[in-house]
Amino acid sequence: MKHSVKLRKPLLKQIKADNLKGSIIQSQPLWVRIFHWGFAISLVVIISTGLQLHKPAHFLALNFSKVLVAHIVFSWFALGFLALRFTDALIRKDDSLIPKIRDLKHFPKLMAYYFYLRSSPPPARKYNSGQLLIYFSWFLVFLLASFLGLASYWQGEHLIWVWRLVGGFQMIRWIKFMISIYFLATIPVHIYLSLTEDISRLQAMVTGYERRPPKKN
Amino acid sequence: MISRRDFLKLVVKGAVLGNFSQLITPPLAKAVAAGEIHKLPVVMIETGTCTGDSISLDNIWTPTFSDILTNILDWRYDWIMNQVQGQEAYGILQETYEKMPQEYILIVQGSMIQRDNGHYNHVGYENGKLITGIELVRRIGLKAKYVVAIGSCATYGGPVAGYPNPTQSTGVQDILPERRVINVSGCPAHPDWIMGTLLHLALYGEPELEKFGRPKLFYGETVHNRCPRRSFYDQGIFATAIGQKECLFRVGCKGPVTYSDCPIRRWNDRFNWPIGCNTPCIGCTEPGYPDLMSPFTSHLPDIPFPGGTKVNTDSIGLGVLGLTSVAITGHVVTSLYKGRIQKNLLKTSSKTNHRPALKKAQGFHKYWLKKTNKV
Ligand code: HEM
Ligand code: SF4
Ligand code: SF4
Repeated sequence: MKHSVKLRKPLLKQIKADNLKGSIIQSQPLWVRIFHWGFAISLVVIISTGLQLHKPAHFLALNFSKVLVAHIVFSWFALGFLALRFTDALIRKDDSLIPKIRDLKHFPKLMAYYFYLRSSPPPARKYNSGQLLIYFSWFLVFLLASFLGLASYWQGEHLIWVWRLVGGFQMIRWIKFMISIYFLATIPVHIYLSLTEDISRLQAMVTGYERRPPKKN
Repeated sequence: MISRRDFLKLVVKGAVLGNFSQLITPPLAKAVAAGEIHKLPVVMIETGTCTGDSISLDNIWTPTFSDILTNILDWRYDWIMNQVQGQEAYGILQETYEKMPQEYILIVQGSMIQRDNGHYNHVGYENGKLITGIELVRRIGLKAKYVVAIGSCATYGGPVAGYPNPTQSTGVQDILPERRVINVSGCPAHPDWIMGTLLHLALYGEPELEKFGRPKLFYGETVHNRCPRRSFYDQGIFATAIGQKECLFRVGCKGPVTYSDCPIRRWNDRFNWPIGCNTPCIGCTEPGYPDLMSPFTSHLPDIPFPGGTKVNTDSIGLGVLGLTSVAITGHVVTSLYKGRIQKNLLKTSSKTNHRPALKKAQGFHKYWLKKTNKV
């Protein structure tokens, strides 16, 4: 049922005052949002072109040198967005993406919640421990994949020690493929949880603001 | 004597024309006759090997191979070529070792078999004692001027070191960490690669080596970068089965990860090469061959599991993705059933604690807030 009545200002105020939940606060600064969507789009391109490089789909019949160029260009974009986020974190002294012992301690309880053994998730800092672990692992494997990508890009001219360390080109490929699989397995989990746990967080990733209940004492 | 620059040119020209040895021999023979170079003594030890590299080397286009042997290299000990046998032959090896230290080239063909102190591989008999391959290679190798490992087995372990590697085999460099081993890999190594490396050693010393210890003049570029089917690859035109004339990437071609000059040098007196007869390159010159390159018809290697089974990488990827989808679907269904999704969405999407109820004041277009009990 939709009400489209015009209300007097004092009444509106009154409604807001004693009825609105929590307050609107900024939770995702602009740079975080730019990073998030820029990185997400780049990663989609990187992974889909990477999989194409892995096993060309016949029905697509894409120009392969362009696929490789797209793969590399978007990798640079992604690294750029990551650098933005990193600088932003340094400036704001933001450690919300770094897992701490405290977060890890909550992890079993969080799992209990996901397996319906608890009715509510344990308290958390900005992100819950599960998300935090996924995000953090993403940064690590992304940097690893980019580094290996760079090594394969240079064809053994630079970063020779990397080739020796992993045991050659075929291993570089293999590790990158596995990293792609890791992304492909965890990204859906991330999307699923963002859509079903707290939708206002998703809104915050777009507008920057989220409505948060007042802190209980 | 020809300059090093001319030599390097001949390496490429000889590859293209297919007469590498023919081009290289006359100036070298002259140089030897003029006393500009000495004949380099060469000994070859065969360890865990199929002797394929000797066969390959013997296939170098005659008559130039015999020319090389008589003019440039002093081929002293080699099981395939020995003119004598038994102690007499072995004596030549010992004599070279004792009388020509830091002068001879040691060629090793075959894998270093390490299991049980190397006793699955005996290569000599001295004073009533069997000599193992690793022992002899270490002994002769430490006093050699150059150590050259030829073939995939001697360079990186090769098929002999294939999973699960029951003999704990490895390449020569691993058992001779004290000194640099020049790796001439390949299964087998191309005769030009072996002879070219030896000639470079005889004339100019150690050639420039690439990341895995192979001479750059032969292993400086990937097969893929010089492949005649590269334009198919770049346009995304792929063969769907072995035997077709397009790029063989989809049927497992390892050209993109394999360093060698096969596309220009080709095989059997430059008659043909794998991609020329529509079968993929199997990456025989790379460390980790054959395990990392097989199945030869698929892009990535299978993953070995303890117990001897191997699982296809793509299947593992698909399996992981399948499990994730099942898990998420299961969670969605359960959450819907338990009402968790509904509750979470309601809780986090509505701005207000409860919908405000309004009461219209009589007679006016005015509204009052209805008192409710909810907070
Ligand atoms: C998150 C980051 C990245 C991911 C997930 C990724 C993933 C992949 C995948 C799955 C492949 C196909 C491997 C195969 O043959 O099976 C590939 C190939 C390749 N990637 Fe990346 N990549 C990433 C970053 C980069 C970067 C930063 C570069 C270069 C600067 C790069 C350069 C390449 C190149 C040159 C290839 C072709 C290698 C080949 O022939 O297999 N990649 N990548
Ligand atoms: S056939 Fe092999 S080496 Fe040749 S272009 Fe295709 S993938 Fe590269
Ligand atoms: S084409 Fe590939 S498999 Fe064949 S000899 Fe050359 S490197 Fe080895």
